[in-house]
Amino acid sequence: MVLSLLLAPAVTGEVRFNRDIRPILSDRCLACHGADEAAVEADLRLDDPASAFAGRDGARAIVPGDPGASEMIRRILSSDPDLVMPPPRHPLKLEAEEKKLLEQWIEEGAEYEAHWAFQRIERPPVPGGKRGAEAIDAFIDRRRAEVGMEGMPEASRGKLLRRLSLDLTGLPASVEEIEGFLRDERADAYERQIDRLLASPHYGERMAMWWLDGARYADTHGFQADWERYQWPWRDWVIRSFNDNKSFDRFTIEQIAGDMLPDATPEQILGTGFNRNHRINTEGGALADEWLIENVMDRVDTVGAVWLGLTMNCARCHDHKYDPLTQREFYQFFAFFHNVDEEGKGPGRQGNFKPVLKLHTPEEEAEFNRITREIEQGEKRLMEWLPSGVHGIAKQPFTKRNGNGDARLEREVRKLAQPEARELKDKVLALRQKRAGLERRIQSVMVMAEMEKPRRTFVLNRGEYDQPGEEVQAGLPAFLPPLPEGEEMNRLGLARWLVGREHPLTARVQVNRLWELLFGTGLVASSENLGVQADWPSHPELLDWLAAEFIESGWDVKALLKQMVMTRAYRQDSKVDAARLERDPENRLLTRGPRFRVQAETVRDQALAIAGLLNPELGGPSVYPYQPKGIWSETNFYGNLRNYSHDTDGGQYRRSLYTIWKRTAAPPGMTLFDMPSREVCVVKRSRSNTPLQALALMNDVTYVEASRKFAERMMKHGADLEERLTWGWRCATSREPDPQELVVLIQGHGRRLEGYRANPDEAKALLQAGEAPVMEGVDPVELAALTTTASIILNLDEVITKE
Amino acid sequence: MNAFRDSVNRRVFLKTSAHGFGLTALGSILGSEAFGETPVIDTLHHQAKAKRVIYLFQSGGPSQMDLWDPKPGLKERFGEELPGSIRMGQRITGMTSGQKTLPVAPSIFDFARHGKSGTWVSELLPETAKVVDDLCIIRSMHTEAINHDPAVTFFQSGSQLAGRPSIGSWVSYGLGSINRDLPNYVVLTSRGTGRPDDQPLANRYWEPGFLPTQHSGVKFRNTGDPVLYLSDPAGIDRSRRRDMLDDLARLNGRRHAIVGDPEIEARIAQYEMAFRMQASVPELTDVSGEPESVLGLYGPEVKKPGTYAANCLLARRLAERGVRFVQLFHQGWDHHGGLPKALKGQCYDTDHATAGLLRDLRQRGLLEDTLVIWGGEFGRTIYSQGKLTRENYGRDHHPRCFTMWMAGAGVKKGTTIGATDDYSYNILEDPVHVHDLNATILHLLGIDHERLLFKYQGRQYRLTDVHGSLIKKALA
Repeated sequence: MVLSLLLAPAVTGEVRFNRDIRPILSDRCLACHGADEAAVEADLRLDDPASAFAGRDGARAIVPGDPGASEMIRRILSSDPDLVMPPPRHPLKLEAEEKKLLEQWIEEGAEYEAHWAFQRIERPPVPGGKRGAEAIDAFIDRRRAEVGMEGMPEASRGKLLRRLSLDLTGLPASVEEIEGFLRDERADAYERQIDRLLASPHYGERMAMWWLDGARYADTHGFQADWERYQWPWRDWVIRSFNDNKSFDRFTIEQIAGDMLPDATPEQILGTGFNRNHRINTEGGALADEWLIENVMDRVDTVGAVWLGLTMNCARCHDHKYDPLTQREFYQFFAFFHNVDEEGKGPGRQGNFKPVLKLHTPEEEAEFNRITREIEQGEKRLMEWLPSGVHGIAKQPFTKRNGNGDARLEREVRKLAQPEARELKDKVLALRQKRAGLERRIQSVMVMAEMEKPRRTFVLNRGEYDQPGEEVQAGLPAFLPPLPEGEEMNRLGLARWLVGREHPLTARVQVNRLWELLFGTGLVASSENLGVQADWPSHPELLDWLAAEFIESGWDVKALLKQMVMTRAYRQDSKVDAARLERDPENRLLTRGPRFRVQAETVRDQALAIAGLLNPELGGPSVYPYQPKGIWSETNFYGNLRNYSHDTDGGQYRRSLYTIWKRTAAPPGMTLFDMPSREVCVVKRSRSNTPLQALALMNDVTYVEASRKFAERMMKHGADLEERLTWGWRCATSREPDPQELVVLIQGHGRRLEGYRANPDEAKALLQAGEAPVMEGVDPVELAALTTTASIILNLDEVITKE
Repeated sequence: MNAFRDSVNRRVFLKTSAHGFGLTALGSILGSEAFGETPVIDTLHHQAKAKRVIYLFQSGGPSQMDLWDPKPGLKERFGEELPGSIRMGQRITGMTSGQKTLPVAPSIFDFARHGKSGTWVSELLPETAKVVDDLCIIRSMHTEAINHDPAVTFFQSGSQLAGRPSIGSWVSYGLGSINRDLPNYVVLTSRGTGRPDDQPLANRYWEPGFLPTQHSGVKFRNTGDPVLYLSDPAGIDRSRRRDMLDDLARLNGRRHAIVGDPEIEARIAQYEMAFRMQASVPELTDVSGEPESVLGLYGPEVKKPGTYAANCLLARRLAERGVRFVQLFHQGWDHHGGLPKALKGQCYDTDHATAGLLRDLRQRGLLEDTLVIWGGEFGRTIYSQGKLTRENYGRDHHPRCFTMWMAGAGVKKGTTIGATDDYSYNILEDPVHVHDLNATILHLLGIDHERLLFKYQGRQYRLTDVHGSLIKKALA
C-alpha cells in the first residue's frame, strides 16, 4: 500500500477535521446524511454538528469524546448488513484505517471545522519572516523538513531556461538564447530572463492557451451541422489582456460584465464574449425554450468552474449533495445570466447570433453591403438562365472552404450558350470570395447584453426547462460573502463580488491553477474543485499566502508568476532517485523540479520552432494547418466546414492556438494529446501517454516535414556530422549530447545513410512531405538520412517533456 | 501495465486505493496480460456473461412501426388526425409543430411472424427475420431527447449535454484491455444509401469526456489510414522504422537511467505498441483471407470497404481479437420525408449484414460471450411529416417509444419485451429507459452500473447518473 506522506496524520499525531475527516464524511456519508434536504436519511446530517450530536431514539450518532457511545462508530463497525454503514448496496466502503480515524476524531472531541476554502483568505505568517519567492520556499522547506526530505540542487542553466521558456511562452529557448544566458555572469541573469520572457508577445499566447479550455473557446457552434462562428477577436482580446498584464480583477469584470461598466468601451464589451463561447444548437426542429435554458446553464457551470472552482450544476435538480448550495440559490445565480436577448437556438447557417458587437468601421460595413447587393443581383440574373435544380447552388453562400457548390455551378454554367453567363458567374464567384474575405476579417463578436425588461427566472423542478416552480430574483449563495456595499445585484455586481477582498475562492482557485501550470499539480490537486469534496492542500498556508499576495498585489498575474518561477523549488533539477520516488511519488512535496509532458499545442509549436518553420504572427482569423484528408467530411455532410484543405500561405505554420476548431471534429493532432474538445468548460486536462501519440509524432506530415527542415538547419549549423548532430541536440533539448548519445546518433545515422544510398528513390520520397521547399544544393540521400535522425530527436521523451 | 495507460490516473488510483475508495478500474492498473484469464476476475462485481460488446447503432432514428412494432389496425385510420387522447399534449419538434394536421400514416410494409418464437418482423428485414430467435426485442424503449445530436449523446453518455464519457470509454476504463496490440474501444462508421446525406456524427459520441484520454473510442477511418497516422511516411519502410525506434529506445533508455522518471519507460512501451499496431491494424483490416462462405453470410455489400456490411465483418474480426467494445454507426435513418424508399435503402444496407454477423459469431462460438445491440437514438411518429399519400410519407422524431434489440451473451433469446398503444405513440407495458439499457449492458459485462464510478470535480460520476435499473425480462 502506498500511503502518501502528504495525508498521513502520523505527521502531527492528532486528527484534524478538514484534513482527515472531512474527505471521508464528504465522500462516503454525505450523499445520504448531508445538506440535500430531499435526500437526507434518518433526519441525520453528519456535516452539521448540531444534528450529528443530537439524540434520536435514545442514541446519538456522535458523542464527542466517547466513540464507544457513538452510534456512528457502532454502525460503521457493525457486521450486520441491516445495520452497517455505509449500507452494503452503497458503492463506496470505509477502509479499516478510515474507521480508526473517525474513532480517533471522536475520541479527541469530534471537533468540526468549517470548510477551509470557504473561509476568508488571511495571510499566514511566513517561516523566518521571508518575503517574495523566498517566502514560498520557506513554506516548502518547512513541509519537506517535517518528513526529513530535501529538494534538489538547481537545474543546469540550459534546462532551466528551456523550462522557463516553455512555461512563460509555450516555446523552447533557442540555442542563441541559451548561449546568451550561459555567458551572462550578472547576479540577476536569471531574473533578466524571466523579465524578457514575460515581456514577449508570446507570453500572452501561452496564457491564452491556459485560459481558453475553461472558456470553451472554439470556431463552431458545436451541434449537428456544426456551423462556423467568428469569435476569434475575443481570443485575441485574451492574448492582449495577458500581454498588457491586465490585472486579474479587471480581466474578470470585463469578461463577466464589461458591457455593464459605465461608458463601456468596445474593448470592455468584447471581453464578455467569454459567456457567449458556449455551443449553440442549430439543429432544425430544436426547441428554442429548451436550449435557451441550456445556454444559461452552461454559463453558470462555466463561471462556477472557472472562478469559483465549484460544480454549480450539481444543484440544478436538487440541493447540492456536498457544498452548501441550495437548488433555489442555484437558480438565483442562474438569474444573473438569464437576461440576455438571445434566441436559445441558432438558424442553420454560419455566423454569429445576437447579441453581437460590431467591430468593423462604417466604411467596411458599407463596402460589405455594396458587395452583397451586387452578388444578389448577379445571382438573380444567373438563376434566370439556369435550370431550377441548380438555384440552390447559385445561392449557396460562398466561403473559401466549400468549393463543391461552386464546382457544380461552374459545370452548369458551362452548359449554357451565353458567354455573358460565364462572365457573370466568374464575377459572382469573385465577389463572393471578396465578401468572404471581408467577413473573415471584420466580423462581429457574440457578446453579452442585458435586456431592458428582465427575463423572469424560476426554480426549475428536476432541472427541466418546462417545469418552472417558484420565481426567484438574482442572488448570491448564503455560504459565500454578501455583495460588497454599494453594488447592485446584477451581473456587474456579481463580477465585482467575485474579485472582492472578502471572496474566499477566486484568488485561491487562480493561484492554485497557475501553480499547477508550472509544477504539474496544484497545491490542491483537485484544481477543478475547491468545494467540500476538494483534496486537502499539500501546503495550506502557502496557498493562502499566495492568494493574499495575489490580491494585495492588485491581482498582478505577471508578478505572481515571477514570484513562482524565482523560487528554488521551481529552479531545482527534475532528476528523481529511488528514495524520492518512493516517499514522494507525485512530487507533492516538491522534492525535485517539475517534469511532465508539454501540453498539446506546445508539442506541435515546439517542433515547428525547432524546425525553423514557426510563423510567429500574432492573432487574427483561425488558420488551417495540415490535417488528415477527409477529417471534416467523413461523417458530416452539412455545415460550411467541410472539405478541409490546409493553408499554403504560411497559416499552416502558425501556433496551434490559432488552429480552426471544429467542435464535432476537433484537430486530432491536439485531442490525441489530451486537449479537450472545447464543447464544455474543462479547467483541467488529463495527461496521457498513448501509442496514438507515438504514431502522430512519427508519421503526421507536420512532424515529418519538421524533421526535414530541422535536418536542413542542422546542415547549416555544422560542417561535419558530429557538429550538426550536436547543434541539433542542443536545439531540441537545451543541453549537450553525452558521448553515448552521440554514438547512438552517429552510428544510426550511418546505417540509414547507407540504406538510402542503396535506395535513393526512397530518400527523395521522404523529402516530399509538406509544403516547405527542399533546401537547394544538398544531396537528397544525406538529407533523408539526417531527416530520420531529426525525427528521432523530435520523438525523444525529453523533447516533448518539460524537464 | 496496460499499454493504453495513464500515469496520472494510475497515481490517483494508488492514492485513492490507499484511502479505500471501493473501485476499481483495475483492468487499467493491472494491465493487459494480467486481465482476462484468472487474476482479476474477482474484481468484477459479479460473474460476467459478456466479454465484449458489438453495438450496431442505427443513427437517425429507425422507424419502429415500419420495422418491429406492427400496427395493422391503423390501415383503416389512414389520414385520420392523431387523436388528442393519444398525443396528450406531448411536445413535438419544431419541424412538425407548425404543421396544420398530424395525419396517421399506417406503415405500407407487411409484417409476418417468424421463427419458433413467432416474432413479428417487417418484410424489410428478411434476413434478420431468419435469426429472430436469437433476439430479445424491446418495443418499449424511450428517451428524453427529441433532436439527433443531444439524443445520440444521451444514448452514448447518459447525458444530453457534452462532456460525459461515452459508454465504450466507461467499459474500457472499467475492464481494461485484453489485447496488447489494438485499442480497447473501436468505432466504425458507414453512410446509408437510404439517405446518403443524413445526420452527421460528432466525435463526442465516442469521446472519453472526463475519463483519461486513452479510453477514447478510436474511429477506424474509411479513407486513408484506418487509424490516424498509422502508416509510415513514404521513404520509411518497416525495417527503417524498426531501426529508428531502436535508436529512440536507446536514447530514451539512456535518459531514464539519468533522470529516473518512470514515465519514460511508459513512453518506450507506447512506441513499441505503436509499432505493433502498424502491423496488427492492417492485418485486422485485410479481409482477403476470409473465405467466400463467410463473406456470403454478410451479403453482397461486404466486399465494398466502408459499407455497413464490411464493418460488420470487421466487427467480428475485432471481437475475435479481444477488443472490448466495438461500435458501428450507420447513418441515414432520419426519414422526415420519402420514408418508404429511404427505409428500403437502409434495410438493404443493414439487414443481411446484421443477420450475417449474428450467424458468423454463432458459428464461431463467439455469440455466447458477445453482446450485440441494435438500435437508434429515438423512434418516429405515427403521423406523417409533410404530405401523406398511399405510397409515400415521412415521419418526425419520436422519443416516447421505439424499438431496439439485444442478442448474444446473457440475453433471453426469442423474446419481445414491452408494448405500445395502437398508434405506437405511448408505452403501455414495461417501459425501458436509456439508462436501463445502459445499466443492463454494464451488468452483462460483470459491472454494477452503480459502482463503476469516476470522481471528477468532486463528484462521483457514473454512466447512468442516478438512474437505471436492469431490464430483468431481457436477461437469460
